[in-house]
Amino acid sequence: MKKAILYINQFFAGIGGEEEADHQPEIREGLVGPAMLLNQLSDAEVTDTIICGDNFMGSNEEEAVEKILGFLEDKEFDIFFAGPAFQAGRYGNACGVIGKAVKEEFDVPVISSMNEENPGVDMFKKDIYIFPGGKSAAKMKDDMAKMAEFGNKILNGEGPLTAEEEGFFVRGIRHQVWLEDSKPAADRAIEMLLKKVNGEEFKSELPMPKIDRVPIAEPIKDLSETTIALATSGGIVPVDNPDKIQSASATRWGRYSVEGLDNLPNREAGEFKTIHAGYDPAAADANPDRVVPLDALRAYEEEGRIGKVHEYFYTTVGTGTTEAEAARMGQEMVEYMKDEGVDAVILTST
Amino acid sequence: MRLEIGNFPVEDIAFGEETSYNDGLLTINKEEALEVVKEDEHITEADLVIARPGEKKRIVPVKEAIEPRYRVNGGATFPGVTGKVESVGEGRALALKGCSVLAVGKHWGSFGDGLIDMSGEGAKYTYFSKLVNVCLVADTDEEFERHEQQKKNHAIRWAAHRLAEYLGKAVKDLEPKEEEVLELEPITKRPQEVNDLPSVVYVMQPQSQMEELGYNDLVYGWDANRMLPTLMHPNEVLDGAVISGSFMPCSSKWSTYDFQNCPTIKRLYEEHGKTLNFLGVIMSNLNVAMDQKERAAMFVQQIAKSLGADAAILAEEGYGNPDADFIACFAALEDAGVKTVGMTNECTGRDGQSQPLVTLDERADAIVSCGNVSTLIELPPMETVIGELEALARDGLSGGWADDEKLGPSVKEDGSIIMENNSMFCGDQVLGWSPKTMKEF
Repeated sequence: MKKAILYINQFFAGIGGEEEADHQPEIREGLVGPAMLLNQLSDAEVTDTIICGDNFMGSNEEEAVEKILGFLEDKEFDIFFAGPAFQAGRYGNACGVIGKAVKEEFDVPVISSMNEENPGVDMFKKDIYIFPGGKSAAKMKDDMAKMAEFGNKILNGEGPLTAEEEGFFVRGIRHQVWLEDSKPAADRAIEMLLKKVNGEEFKSELPMPKIDRVPIAEPIKDLSETTIALATSGGIVPVDNPDKIQSASATRWGRYSVEGLDNLPNREAGEFKTIHAGYDPAAADANPDRVVPLDALRAYEEEGRIGKVHEYFYTTVGTGTTEAEAARMGQEMVEYMKDEGVDAVILTST
Repeated sequence: MRLEIGNFPVEDIAFGEETSYNDGLLTINKEEALEVVKEDEHITEADLVIARPGEKKRIVPVKEAIEPRYRVNGGATFPGVTGKVESVGEGRALALKGCSVLAVGKHWGSFGDGLIDMSGEGAKYTYFSKLVNVCLVADTDEEFERHEQQKKNHAIRWAAHRLAEYLGKAVKDLEPKEEEVLELEPITKRPQEVNDLPSVVYVMQPQSQMEELGYNDLVYGWDANRMLPTLMHPNEVLDGAVISGSFMPCSSKWSTYDFQNCPTIKRLYEEHGKTLNFLGVIMSNLNVAMDQKERAAMFVQQIAKSLGADAAILAEEGYGNPDADFIACFAALEDAGVKTVGMTNECTGRDGQSQPLVTLDERADAIVSCGNVSTLIELPPMETVIGELEALARDGLSGGWADDEKLGPSVKEDGSIIMENNSMFCGDQVLGWSPKTMKEF
């Protein structure tokens, strides 16, 4: 039989309310509080219950996570549940923090339930499955039933588990599926168009997600003291592409020294070229400075308009590269830049 | 404008003495057909291979697909490509249905080339597994691009167009099994009851992002990079005025076959006079510079406004950078009060978590989504490979790779493959066939 573990707070464990909210994390073999209900509803056996005070989690998150992951180290379990947390904000946060940590450490499905107004929903819906729940414990049975039922589907390998069909909060994880009725895109477009024109309700197949904008940095007051690095998604690399950066859908990046160079020697000179597959490479191969403008920056350096050009330029390929990979690579680059005293970056695209 | 297409269903294709059509069987005189192929001296080697639905065959690298056609007045099937520039979309054409000519590299692939499995799990990823395909497997002396990731593939693509035209002649004196009539009255000469219906334009954004000529889709033989959006009659699109290019990651690509059979145009025709008034096609394009994108969107908006369009269907041939053109055009149409539905695919990454389009806008509130270019696909070996399997890994196809730390090379020693949907031949079918959508998981 498959095994499950449930996380709850001090209140639902029957330890106490606000006065016990500093309760240290603990694990108890067997069923505590709502674990009994879950055990009835789930196809898995609930072997243990983890309990932690909401305040303890709130003020000692790192310690709490470490302890709880430690409890779980020698346990066998196929699925992890947390809550339901209803509208309780701190409890929702705790379910999310622990759920996310368990997911990352043990890679098992993690399921919770929260009221839509619980701030934990927005914070953690990307990381774990969260079902919309009631405002208070009066909905315990309904909410736990949704969690258990979905858990059973996962444990039994049933699909397709889409947000629309299952009802959990949308997580921003989008995959292609074949429609059951195979309705061609042209038919769907005509139907949507007629509804839109006639003022009827219609449903876009790509609801506009919230746009993730990075705030523009404060201007630099005195450029003459500034160390500037060049970075690009235009795929300029040494001709042998030593880090094997992919020409599209890149997951790798490189940094290459420009020490002592006034400009980037081109492909013909056997030095730098572009491996980017998303644009005509001719202009960049003939003069890589067109993508990584080292020549212009050196001129500014000479004139004293900027302090210094950083020793390396940073490079990857942007075409087909996912936002998530791009963000990761950017964060990795920034580590080096920070360590080496870079004040500003000119990022060129293509 | 009135176009009649006489349809001849092709159930099977065989080689024989005379190129002919008889009751669903297309027979090809291979030698004669290859002579047509080799009219271009740059074709150094060529062969024809048949691939039928259900056969254990894998075809790669596929560069183009074309429906064989014959133009009854004798003009070129593809004006500006296989013959001189002449207006099309009016008159009579004959079509061999259920089959296509595929342009396949004997060895060498390029970024925009794709893969087709004729059976098994892989077959569902492309429309062309359902057709009887004549594969033109060829090599050329185009040394300048032999080892380039981006190839114009001119010789092979043009040879395939000539071959499609040659095969079309097989039915020139025969009675078709079925007649299709595509007729739209001039916009200002329509009956009141049609004018009273919501009027709709179909805005097409064919791939045209390469500044250098030779890679982009062509409109009457003219590179779409060098044009501004213009009004076209839908019959022109269905009748060979537009041919596919050689640049875009393949699942996003619209082959010439797709243009010739554009399902969205066919559906708009079906609705014309019943639920809507189909005004025509605004042929736009896709550009790399911001001012070019804005200019194109502005022209589309102006044409739609001038026509008095109430609504539009907008489709882009590509993803990534072209999403900016798609969204700019969507927003411009909505700003002009033209109620718009967009058709596109998405790039959400292998884990599905990335932003679906490069640019987003709240005005783009109605989208039909046709697939995820970055879905990972693993497929077992096939008995027969038409072309060269190694091309998928070696030649920089958009959905293949030579090596990867976790996944290894795209092509395994036993002939099994792992690839991104990106290289499924015309897999996302944004012109309207796509049975796929995108869902939240």
